[in-house]
Amino acid sequence: MATVDIRLVSTRGIKKKSDHVDEIKNLVTPGDVITSDSGFMRGHGTFMEEGKLHASVAGVVEHVNKLICVKPLKTRYNGEIGDVVIGRIIEVCQRRWKVETHSKLNSVLMLSSVNLPGGELRRRSEEDEKLMRHYLKEGDLISAEVQNVMGDGCLSLHTRSLKYGKLGQGTLLSISPSLIKRRKTHFHNLPCGASVILGNNGYIWITPNIDDESQNTGGYEQNLQPVPQTDREVVARLRNCILALAANHMIIYDTNIMYAFEASISFTVKELLKPEVISEMIDLVQQRIDMEGT
Amino acid sequence: MPVDSKRICGPEITKNPYNFLINGNEKGELIINGKRRDGRKPDQARPLFLRPGLISQAKGSAYIEQNHTKVICAVYGPREVIRKEDFSMKGQITCEFKFATFSCKKKRGHQQDSEEKDYSVQLLEALEPAVQLDKFPKSQVNLYLTVLQNDGSALAASITCASLALAHAGIEMFDLVVGSSVRIHGNEILVDPCEEEEFHSNTNIGVDEGGVVLGLMPSINQISALTSKGELNFDTTSQAVKTCIQNCQKVYPVLQNCLVNSLKEKD
Amino acid sequence: MTDIIYSEAEKTYILHGIQENYREDGRGCEDYRHMEIETGVVSNTTGSARVRLANTDLLVGIKAELGSPSPDNPNCGCIEFFVDCSANATPQFEGRGGEELATEISNVLTRAYSNSTSLDLKSLCIIPKQQCWILYIDVLFLECGGNLFDAASVGVKAALFNTKIPNVTVNQDEDDMEIELSDDPFDVQRIDIKSAPCIVTLSKIGHHHVVDASQKEEACCLARLMMGVTADSTITALKKEGWGSLNPESIFEMMESGKNVGKVLNASLLSLLEDEEKGSKRKTVGFLK
Repeated sequence: MATVDIRLVSTRGIKKKSDHVDEIKNLVTPGDVITSDSGFMRGHGTFMEEGKLHASVAGVVEHVNKLICVKPLKTRYNGEIGDVVIGRIIEVCQRRWKVETHSKLNSVLMLSSVNLPGGELRRRSEEDEKLMRHYLKEGDLISAEVQNVMGDGCLSLHTRSLKYGKLGQGTLLSISPSLIKRRKTHFHNLPCGASVILGNNGYIWITPNIDDESQNTGGYEQNLQPVPQTDREVVARLRNCILALAANHMIIYDTNIMYAFEASISFTVKELLKPEVISEMIDLVQQRIDMEGT
Repeated sequence: MPVDSKRICGPEITKNPYNFLINGNEKGELIINGKRRDGRKPDQARPLFLRPGLISQAKGSAYIEQNHTKVICAVYGPREVIRKEDFSMKGQITCEFKFATFSCKKKRGHQQDSEEKDYSVQLLEALEPAVQLDKFPKSQVNLYLTVLQNDGSALAASITCASLALAHAGIEMFDLVVGSSVRIHGNEILVDPCEEEEFHSNTNIGVDEGGVVLGLMPSINQISALTSKGELNFDTTSQAVKTCIQNCQKVYPVLQNCLVNSLKEKD
Repeated sequence: MTDIIYSEAEKTYILHGIQENYREDGRGCEDYRHMEIETGVVSNTTGSARVRLANTDLLVGIKAELGSPSPDNPNCGCIEFFVDCSANATPQFEGRGGEELATEISNVLTRAYSNSTSLDLKSLCIIPKQQCWILYIDVLFLECGGNLFDAASVGVKAALFNTKIPNVTVNQDEDDMEIELSDDPFDVQRIDIKSAPCIVTLSKIGHHHVVDASQKEEACCLARLMMGVTADSTITALKKEGWGSLNPESIFEMMESGKNVGKVLNASLLSLLEDEEKGSKRKTVGFLK
């Protein structure tokens, strides 16, 4: 039976101010003077003029020792070496792939910085150059690590570890990069039966739990068998949960994804698209975070 | 509307004399004693005349005539795409449909109007599924259709004509596309309507008045184009679609025969 | 629309999901995403509506102007559709980028409304052969998240419901006719939308079809069937779209589900609009989230 869920904007109600969010201090807008003390170093989102440090973006001022930077709420991804990213191949070029990573410029994946099928380490022959489109073609998704940031901000990626490589069946989400918490690991095998890769660039990959064997091929051999219904449901639920968290500007990391997942279990996956269900679930998650003191 | 700067136009406001006809908008019954005004039975199509290869300089061409509906089509290409956009290993088809300015009862403009643009898109969508686009990568095929005289069912005739022209041009196809149209008038389904039988949104009142145009690839049994107009009941619509399919299957051998004959002549 | 090429595996995932009637976001094949509507959002129009269907966001404004009726139809008013795919929605619409899509949408809308039963155009006539109301129905896309056709048709229907055309009196002096427009905001003429159609787009993906396809699903789809469906489940327009073809059986299946979905869509829309009308102290939310 078809369901059509239409409603009036006016019935949405004004979002009540949640009490548990602390008032954020040190918010600045472009041009605001952050400090006139010359003892600080300027970081991202700031500029110096007449000996004073100004903000160049609207956001939160962050101090790290002597370094001051302003972190905007919405931003393109600024890569750093060692970041885990998810990207989509958009072009196959001479000995390199161009990868879209939600960054200002397209990133580059060199043929020399991927693991090729078969041998762990081997020379890249001309043969391999010809087969580049066979390995990764336009539209393919990969997980990779930032190897280097070039002068113009262009990222150079590598996939020289078996955990990186081509991604198989699953769902890609795109959220703001500033919502992703920088952690030791960005690959999570969640207990609910799915794995999640939280790319530092704001791309999130959810996939049904895969056996360990297939992981070792670097993703070149793809399993295109139908995914069982139960796995599919878990993936869809995670997708809706993460999107709900992101829509409410909550930082995303494995624990609160699991909190959201558990809070959502009393609803069907379909219901998680409705605003009132989302806000109910978010409240539960918020309470739990406050309780556990994380 | 873009101003036509290329030619000297007539006075801006001229009127179609047919609007001043006595009893102009009151049309009589479409069916009297089980026969249509031109004497056809409801399910009877008009005689069909087809010939490929009229325009000698085109890669392929075709001409179709159904009594007073006459359409000519030319195919050029495949040739290199002029304005390249994204990387694509598939070929492209372009399609331009135009009523000759004098072809209809009312005068047509020199430039494509919105109806002609709509027909162009419909034709393109009718033909694209039939053409093996992966056989000519990075190149395009241009199709030009001109209606020389319009007496109804111009789009359906154009679909048939265009697929014949494509076949004549030696473009690789999965199947020929046959077009067919019907007019729905209450309980009656009139196959291959002529101009006065065609559905016009403003003059026909009530439910179950409308028209359906369909393009069929008969040997692989796939519908490549389907459009309808007018408010129709669900069952009537499916009945009309079925009638169109039957009619297409009737026309298909004619189309095949015509192609085979044209090949024989060349030997 | 934004042309992202998706990988084989992603497409396979979507395809298998649809086979099992379980889509990426947990919906079944015949479920719409969450939709929000507000009418009367632009004060300078005769009628307006804003529709938000998941990420698809659009605004419909109707302007009524006086004009002479078309000679084919001297006793009726007319409606004109215009669709603007603004570059606000996606940079690809910049310049003439959105034109093709825009004409396609307006053609389908025109087709769906081009019959005498959907709207009572006779009521828009003031003096036969001389003066009538012409409704310019303009659809402006603000954001694109898939399924633009259905969203546009819902917006148009809501805006028509909201339309309030001032009443006109004709004074006849011998040979001269004079038109006087009422300036009382409550002395207005409404438009009956009970039998106005909504468009239901059915996208064929694999061997099955879905309604309200997301952008990703649209990328997997080879052929679509668009249907104008009224509340009485009559069909006012059919159009196959896309570069694939369909076999007759699947067309009949698609028509069947289009009919059912359209019935639900029309019914929920109408009851919603009537609710909005009743709610007296309504606060306009407008464009604030």
